[in-house]
Amino acid sequence: MKFNGVRKSWHVAAGLIVLTAVLSLEFYTNLFEKSVGYYLKWQNHKRPQLGRMWERDRQSLVAQAKIKSIRSSLDLQEETALGISSFKHLFEGLSPGFPLVVSREKFLQLYYDFPGPWSEQIISSYDLIEMDSTKNWDRVFLKRFGPWITLQFIDRQNIPIHELFLSVDTLFEVQATRTVKRGTLEDSNFTTNRIFPISEFLPVLKSLDAATQKAVFPEPRWFLGKNYYVTRVGISDVPAEQPAQHLLLGVEYDTDYYTGVLLIPVAMELANNMMSQIEKADLSDPTSNEIPPSSGESP
Amino acid sequence: MIGRLLHTLNLVLLTLILSVVLVVAGLYFWLSQDLPQLPNNLQHINLSLPTEIYSSDGERIKILGERHPIVLEDISPFFTKAIIAVEDSRFYRHSGIDHRGLVRALWTNLSQKRIAQGGSTITQQLSKNLFFSFERNWVRKIKELLIAFQLEATFNKDQILQAYCNQIYFGSGAYGVEEAAQVYFRKRAKDLTLLQAALLAGLPNSPNNANPFSHYEKAMKRTEYVLNRMVREHLITTDEKELSLQSNIDLVNPRVDSDPNLYFVDQVLEQIERDYGKEFVHFGGLKILTTLDSHYQKLAFKSARNHLEALEGKIVKEPGAAPLQAALVAIENKSGAVRAMLGGRDYSYSQFNRAVSNNRLPGSSFKPFVYFTAMEELGYSPATVVVDEPLTLDIPGTEPWSPQNFDEEFAGKIILKKALMKSINIISAKLLNEVGPEKVIRTARQFGIKSPLGKNLSLALGTSGLSPYEMASAYSVIANLGIYNEPYLIQHIEDFQGNRLYEHYYQGVQQFLPDSLFPLLNMMQGVIDEGTGKVVRRMGFHHPAGGKTGTTNDFKDAWFNAFTKDISASVWVGFDNNEPMRVKPGKGLTGASAAAPIWVFFMQKVLEGKSPVKFPVPDKIKFATVDAQTGYLANEFSLETLEVAVKEGVDLSAPPVLPKNPEPDETGLLPDPVGGPMNPKKSKKRNVVPDP
Repeated sequence: MKFNGVRKSWHVAAGLIVLTAVLSLEFYTNLFEKSVGYYLKWQNHKRPQLGRMWERDRQSLVAQAKIKSIRSSLDLQEETALGISSFKHLFEGLSPGFPLVVSREKFLQLYYDFPGPWSEQIISSYDLIEMDSTKNWDRVFLKRFGPWITLQFIDRQNIPIHELFLSVDTLFEVQATRTVKRGTLEDSNFTTNRIFPISEFLPVLKSLDAATQKAVFPEPRWFLGKNYYVTRVGISDVPAEQPAQHLLLGVEYDTDYYTGVLLIPVAMELANNMMSQIEKADLSDPTSNEIPPSSGESP
Repeated sequence: MIGRLLHTLNLVLLTLILSVVLVVAGLYFWLSQDLPQLPNNLQHINLSLPTEIYSSDGERIKILGERHPIVLEDISPFFTKAIIAVEDSRFYRHSGIDHRGLVRALWTNLSQKRIAQGGSTITQQLSKNLFFSFERNWVRKIKELLIAFQLEATFNKDQILQAYCNQIYFGSGAYGVEEAAQVYFRKRAKDLTLLQAALLAGLPNSPNNANPFSHYEKAMKRTEYVLNRMVREHLITTDEKELSLQSNIDLVNPRVDSDPNLYFVDQVLEQIERDYGKEFVHFGGLKILTTLDSHYQKLAFKSARNHLEALEGKIVKEPGAAPLQAALVAIENKSGAVRAMLGGRDYSYSQFNRAVSNNRLPGSSFKPFVYFTAMEELGYSPATVVVDEPLTLDIPGTEPWSPQNFDEEFAGKIILKKALMKSINIISAKLLNEVGPEKVIRTARQFGIKSPLGKNLSLALGTSGLSPYEMASAYSVIANLGIYNEPYLIQHIEDFQGNRLYEHYYQGVQQFLPDSLFPLLNMMQGVIDEGTGKVVRRMGFHHPAGGKTGTTNDFKDAWFNAFTKDISASVWVGFDNNEPMRVKPGKGLTGASAAAPIWVFFMQKVLEGKSPVKFPVPDKIKFATVDAQTGYLANEFSLETLEVAVKEGVDLSAPPVLPKNPEPDETGLLPDPVGGPMNPKKSKKRNVVPDP
């Protein structure tokens, strides 16, 4: 009985010692907080990203995603604009409600790339020089509104320096003055007897006055700059669809990859005149480059 | 006996420890799903980029989400000592919970039977700031505690203290010690003096009640308390405390919350949030270049404030009534860029944007759209003669309507230009009755008015609410001779790398032909030169301008909308509760006396140093001086003459004088008498007198 009482007291004392030790340990080392803290740290990755801080993070991510999506859309637009290869593509790509912006450089490239004097009808190159003299012209903003296309030459703040309006009909009508096709002259229905080597055509072209030269043939730079090797020309024997009373002059060229044809409507009278001169040259002296002056006769 | 007591105590303590362990384990498993994950690095918690908003003249007018996170070395040691002394004196000794503080808080809360004291350590406060709501409940408190334990186990004390200093709120919109030092002392956090540091350290506990801007005495008491705590914690000596209390605190003036730009900024934010989402603008780190001209905006604010103060002294007002309000919008005609937008007289008093959201009746300032519709649809010209006389119009299903003139007098025969200059209600009602409200509404839409317009005859007197923003935009179409530019606020938006995300392009639409609109423009010039708006000239404004006054029933609204070649501005003055602006019985403030002077003050300053610019005259317009009563070209018998601008095809010559007893012509009909009523449909190109 006494032994039991002593054992009980010993248990109590031991318990108290342990408790005191635990409490002291907690008091001096913060054991409990540290244990819980380290356990939570160990479990951290399993827990969800909740709370104000993560919410802010998420909103930030949403914002960055939005910015990224806007930027990729704008980049795509820019790439599309950069990829435009001709005025024809530029204007055909315009649809109401979807304006297009091209850089000054791109506009000038397209302006001078058109195989003919048509670009001058949009805006005179002298006007471009005048606009450029203030060093403000940055881009061209194009939009289609009903049957009209508006071209705004804008500065860096998007303030228009110059604005002009073009009728869609006029555009397409004038664009028809120069058509590019893949294939040979024969593929474009030119008959063999009306196809000539370029060497036979050039003397006739040289004999024409400057204005007529421009009307029937593009700036040689158009071919040379693109590494288009002009081989033959042809004059069609059927009238062109547009404009009336015109025949088509076809200029065939080779590129490194394909053969192409540039089709230019030429007044019937002029086409026949050129044709007769080439034939006359053939009859007189096939080796001579000298072309006799035009007799002025209509065929 | 002692053994039993010890045994019981032993059991109690064991049970207590076991209970604590079980409770904590149970709580953890219960709350573990709601416990947030901690970031790997506390330095990145403040890294969301601020969005900056600029005016067109390059002034930064607003920063959103601005944070100035700094490292501990850049914070004055006075501040770190002070914040530790006052918020958590055992910060460097505990692991997330302060036992003594907790027991003290528990005792207080149990004795008061409510959560009266937090006893939160700095780590707990950081835990709360980073992850939890600010509501006081036990579950949130336990979660906060658990996360505090994890913070202590994951980061060192300096990292925790640094994050805390960058996170806490100091009142007056300042988050983090760096921003607080800027707001209260215009200096860097590292340069704070002991007294300043103590003041700031006292703020997180009660950022509003101890705010030195609003409660200076309380703030200084709290500062003294902080200094005493520092002394007690042996962080400073008593001498240092006394010395600092004698020093100057150098508190700066509070940032002006009544920044008038904020009405415009709110509008910009609303637009971007609507188009791109809230996150985009608040967390995108954007640079937004707006159309606002900060110089114009200041002028608008000053003009409105000065004139309203003068008006307040004149009007009869109930004691304690809300102040008289004003709104102003100025738009650049050639582009539609909004250059100034004042939504009220004081942003800190009321953030409601009266320039955009307050559709108030425009009164007579709507008349130009009625006149223009009549001229377009009925072939009238400014020289067309109309009759100002008592009028009663039958309205099916309701009582007949009898519009009244402002001065309750009738002018008799009068030409349209003169009628608009004198703002005669009867004529406007007659014109609308002839042309029909549908056509007037259609015209108003073409002018860019988007608010709902009532399809009724009283529309002639401007009884459908419009905002100054709409009015300025619609009037700019007149100044632009028919070209409508959608008004806009944002020039472009860039991301933080400078890539443009949005750009505005000018997209003007020719809504009306210049030669159709110029006669109206000229009539509105007449309003300012010699009509109801001549106060503009009396006040010395000499630039060519056109406009129209507007005053509604009982003087509840006063408008003045007018334009020069380059700028159109609309000004509204009135009370928010629609109370009349009475000066004395029967008299009140009108568009000319309340709104026009604000327009003049504003425009005079805007155009200071600039040469007057005339409105361009379209090719097919001719000017003529006509008799103000007959509308025919003036002659030596004309009592009153007026210059009008009409389309080239309009014949202003008087018909030949007829014999006293005219004989029927070959058609058997008598010729029209001079100045007599004519069928307007028959006489498209002549002066006509509409049948009343």
